[in-house]
Formats: sequence, structure tokens, C-alpha cells
Amino acid sequence: MFIEFFYTLRERGVPVTPTSFLRLHKALSTGLIHSLEDFYTVARSVLVKSERYFDMYDQIFAHTFQGVELVEPDDEEITEIAKALLEEWLKNPADIAAALGIDERELERLTPDELIQYFFERLKEQAEAHHGGNKWIGKGGTSPVGHSGYHPGGMRVGGGVSRNKSAIKVAMDRRYKDYSQDGPLTQSQIGEALKRLRRMVPAGPRDVINVDKTIYETIRSGGEIEIVYDRRLRDRIKVVLMIDNGGWSMDPYVHLVQTLFNYVRDQFKDLKVYYFHNTIYDEVWLDPPRRTKPERILDFISKDPETRLIIVGDASMAPYELMHTKGFIHLEKKRSRPSIENLQFLAETFRHSVWINPEEERWWGAWTIDNIRQVFPMFGLTLDGLDKTVHYLMSRN
Amino acid sequence: MNQENPLNKFRGASRYVLDDELAKIVNVSIALEMPLLLKGEPGTGKTMLAYAVAESLKMPLIVLNVKSSMKLIDALYQYDTLTRLNDSRFGDSDRNVSHIEEYIKMGKIGQAFVADVRTVLLIDEIDKADTDFQDDMLDVLDQMQFDIIEIDKTVSAKNRPVVIITSNAKKDLSDPFLGRCNFHHIAFPDPHMMRSIIDTHFPNLQGEIIEACIETFYHLRVFEGIEKKPATRELINWIRALRADPDFEISKLHRGEIPYLGVLYKKSSDVENVARRVTQSF
Repeated sequence: MFIEFFYTLRERGVPVTPTSFLRLHKALSTGLIHSLEDFYTVARSVLVKSERYFDMYDQIFAHTFQGVELVEPDDEEITEIAKALLEEWLKNPADIAAALGIDERELERLTPDELIQYFFERLKEQAEAHHGGNKWIGKGGTSPVGHSGYHPGGMRVGGGVSRNKSAIKVAMDRRYKDYSQDGPLTQSQIGEALKRLRRMVPAGPRDVINVDKTIYETIRSGGEIEIVYDRRLRDRIKVVLMIDNGGWSMDPYVHLVQTLFNYVRDQFKDLKVYYFHNTIYDEVWLDPPRRTKPERILDFISKDPETRLIIVGDASMAPYELMHTKGFIHLEKKRSRPSIENLQFLAETFRHSVWINPEEERWWGAWTIDNIRQVFPMFGLTLDGLDKTVHYLMSRN
Repeated sequence: MNQENPLNKFRGASRYVLDDELAKIVNVSIALEMPLLLKGEPGTGKTMLAYAVAESLKMPLIVLNVKSSMKLIDALYQYDTLTRLNDSRFGDSDRNVSHIEEYIKMGKIGQAFVADVRTVLLIDEIDKADTDFQDDMLDVLDQMQFDIIEIDKTVSAKNRPVVIITSNAKKDLSDPFLGRCNFHHIAFPDPHMMRSIIDTHFPNLQGEIIEACIETFYHLRVFEGIEKKPATRELINWIRALRADPDFEISKLHRGEIPYLGVLYKKSSDVENVARRVTQSF
């Protein structure tokens, strides 16, 4: 049974190792585990090494020891969604009525119970028919569910409440859902992910003693002490961030991108932010409305090639915008070469460059995405994606 | 070591409210002789846990505050070359210059190893250091020994310390590191738990004041767009501030007047943001 448990964890993508499994058996032999609840706690502490997998662990635990089915979204989840929707409806009846496609007055006649029932049916339909097609039950930025800090089922932190609950119940609560890998990003998460983006170079006053040189110089001057000082290592990385801030296609991600932007702005001293619309033509702008401070792409050749270039955009547009010399959608502007060549030029100028796409990776179907991916490595704006971004940006040092 | 001994089982301490789950994990980690890695939001009591464990097990606590520039060697020992150089030049100390060992000072991990009694070693905020530091340190903790290169001597732990490691980060630490630790994530306390935490800190405070404060506190925590949310520490300080104020009445809180916002929020933009919203939300 434990072996099956172990392999289910592995299959479902929780990184568990044989060593930790053996260690779990060692823990079982210490005589400290008396109940299934103890086992739940100890096994999680020994096997699972990140709160991101706690939710998956809870599901698998309930599945293995109670036969709860591993399906998504389960009824409980839908209940949570329905609750959130109900709250939303109280605040904003017209929107929900429109989203559900029924008349507002008709909606008002329903009792809350009927309403929830109605939501249930619609949600199940929705989830099966076009999963994620409509943002209000998806994980997108505008969804009423899945705000950071929202805890479905409540967080259980010991105390009197928990003791009556069995481990299965606790596991079925799925109280760690918040920490699942695909959850919304917070500023601190972004901060942690980007913190490793550093390049240390000596700078500032010489106030650190270099022992080796001191000894050498002291011997050279015949035992007369000669102390040699060095500069401290400072972070001197240069970052250029280019953000797609135009077009309705980026709207759902505005909040996410802002979070990224805010963090990056106070973290990196040498940071330049530029804006563009959909894709990069001959110019990018220093001002968000993209009107007064253009900078020519060709001038970027004079920048330090060690600069890290990060482009944020959904990379989804009409193919001609990317490929055609007359692709620029603002007709009054003249351009000389297709956007894709500008992108290639940037990729050649800055060897450390990536494209971050805030759209969920599984929707990366657009033709232009494929093409841009041939120029820049593309990562999602998730914890995983940022991790890979940093890894990529620092790997060729 | 001998977990049969009831004295060696951790049961919580006078100023620390422990949940069952965490107590179990601490005990299993001690039994398995593994470091325990604690993650969680700031203010969930990660660091306090180590103090509580030390108090309850009656072991001395050694704290290693990790800094971003720290090298592993700093945590193990320090070879004071400059003093030796100085002594060799001027020779006015009673140290024997040709005896290098006299210039070796133990770092925090070293101190925990050479201590005559078993200690609790808290490695605080490990995520500040780089990955190399973390991996190298675990080798040392795994084998419970390290070498002092300068005098070619191996220092082994006389008593295996109880190791507690904390991390603020939501980012994962390296895999080899995680592989050698037990892991626990401390969630932010719910109002019920918070009530018992406040009770241990303010045993004489009236129930309704606590109730009102906690209610207001959780109400304030749900505001979005706050850079640094108030945590347990802020709540405790805030209650302390309220108690010190002779003009304070609970009815103020119910009316949505929240004094001393600056105790709860540490960034000026947050204070303004909250002050604006408080008036709307009550």
C-alpha cells in the first residue's frame, strides 16, 4: 500500500526520492507514529519538500487511503467556485447574469440555494464543454476565484478544531491548494525567483583585506606589515525590460506584469524599461503611452552586450504584423523591415535574452508564438517559468 | 538520540503555541537525526520555534544568522591571520605564533560541534545565501564533521545538535538540500490559533478586547495591494501599543477608528493605502 502511495506521488509529479521513502520507513520504526493522522503528517514532512506539492499530496493521500478519485475539478472545488461566484453576484448582479447568459431579473428571483444549484450545473457544463475557455472560471487574472490569499476550505493550524478531524478529512480539505505550482504569483515569489539574477563585480571603496596579497607584500617588504585592501563585490547587472502594454490581449495580465515590474524596478539599480505594442518594430518607447520618448532598436547596438534583455508579451498577433515589412498596425508610422528581423537583431545583440509570456503555457498555440520562440527562448510568467528564465539568463556566464 | 526518554520529547514552551502537527514533525526529526527545514510567511514563528525547542529540551541554543555574502567557512571556523601576522611582527602577546591552532576561532556551526552538551542549532534564513553554501553546509551537517585545513585537523561533533533551518522564500532550495531535510510549511495562524497565541502573550487581557483586536487584524489583512502584510509580531506590538494608550476604547475599533496603524504597517504607502480603505470598509 505504501509502495503504491509512493508511486502515485511520483506519477503525479511530486518529486519523491527512494531515499526519502526509506527514511519514512525508518520513521515508522521509531515508534512515534501511532495513527493515520501521525502518518499523514510525518510522511508529508519526510517525502514532500515544498509547499507547492502539498495540495497534490493531500489529493493523493485521500485517494490512496480512502479511494477518493483523482479528478479535476472535483465537486468540492466547484462548491468553492460557486461560493465565490455567489459573493461576486451579490456585489455585481449584472456581470454574473451576463456571464451566465440569463436575464438579471430572472436571476434575482432565484433563492440562494437555487442559484447555487444553477451555478453548479452551468459550471459543470462549462468545465466539460470548453475548459478554461471563459476566464471567469479559469485561473486567469480576472477570475473571482484564485486571488492570492484566498483559502478554500480554510487553513487548519492545529488548535482545537483539528483534533476531531481524521487525516483523510484533513487531506480532503486540500487546504494547501493555494500553494499549487500554477497558483497566482505574488511579489515576494517573483522576488525570490529573480534574486539569483545577479552579477557580482568589485566596486566601491577598498575596505576588504586581501590576506594573500597582504602576506606577500609583507614578506616583500622584509616583515614590515603591508596591508592590502580590495573592493567589495557588488551587484552590477544591467537589465533591459521591454513590456507589451498595448492591445486587449494583454489586459488580463496587467496585474501580473505590474507585479513583476514593481519588483524588478526596485531590485535592479541599472534597469531600463521600454514599451511596445504587440511586437517590436523600429522603435521602443520609454514612456508607457508610447508617444514622446522613442528609442531606435538599431541604437541598442551601442549598449553593453552583457545586458540581460527580458521581453514580456503574449506574442500573439496576426502573422503579417510579425513578418511583413508593412506589418505595423499603426498606419501613420513608417517602418523599414519586418518585426521578426528586429527581434533577431536584439537576440544577436544581447546574448542573454528571453521572452516571458504571461499566457498559460498550454495555450501557446499561436503561429507567431512558434516563430518568436525560434528567436528567443520563451518561458511562462509562473514560478517555474521565472526559475527557468533566471537559470537561462545566468547559465552562459 | 534516546527518544524513549520523555524529557527529550518536545511539547511546546511557555511563550510558544505549538500545533500538534508541528510537534510531531519536530519529534520525528529529532528521532531521525535530520535537520528540519521550516518555511512560511514572515511572522509565522519559524525562528521562535527554535527558541521554544531549546527551552523545552533545556539545551543551549546557537543561532547562525545567514547573510548573503556568507561563505560556509565563516560558519565553521575563522583563521585569524591578521592577528597572527601582527603577533609575529611585534610578538607582544602570550600566544605562540608557531601554534596555528591558537588563531582558530570557531564559527556558529563549529561551536555547536565542540559544545560539551547537546545543543539546538538554528540556521536562520538560509535562503539568503547562495546555493553552494546550502549544499556544502548539508555535507557538514550530514557527516557531523569538518576539516580545518590550516592545521589539518578534523572537528567532529561531540553531541549531534538538533538542527532547525528556516527559510522565508517561496522559492525552492536546491534538491540535494531538500533531500536531506525534513520539511514543514507553517501556514499563517487562523483567528482561533491567533487567539491562543495572544492569550499566552497577554494572559491578563480581557476577552472582548482580544476578540476585537483579532477581528480588526484579520479584517485588515485581507486588503489587497499591501506590500508587507502585518504578521503576528505586528499584532502583538499593536496590542501592546493599545494597552499603553489610556484613551483607547474597544468601541473605537468597532467604529472603524484604528489607532497606531504605523505599528501594523511598516511602509508609508501601505499606511496611506489602508487608512483610506478603512474608512470605506466599516
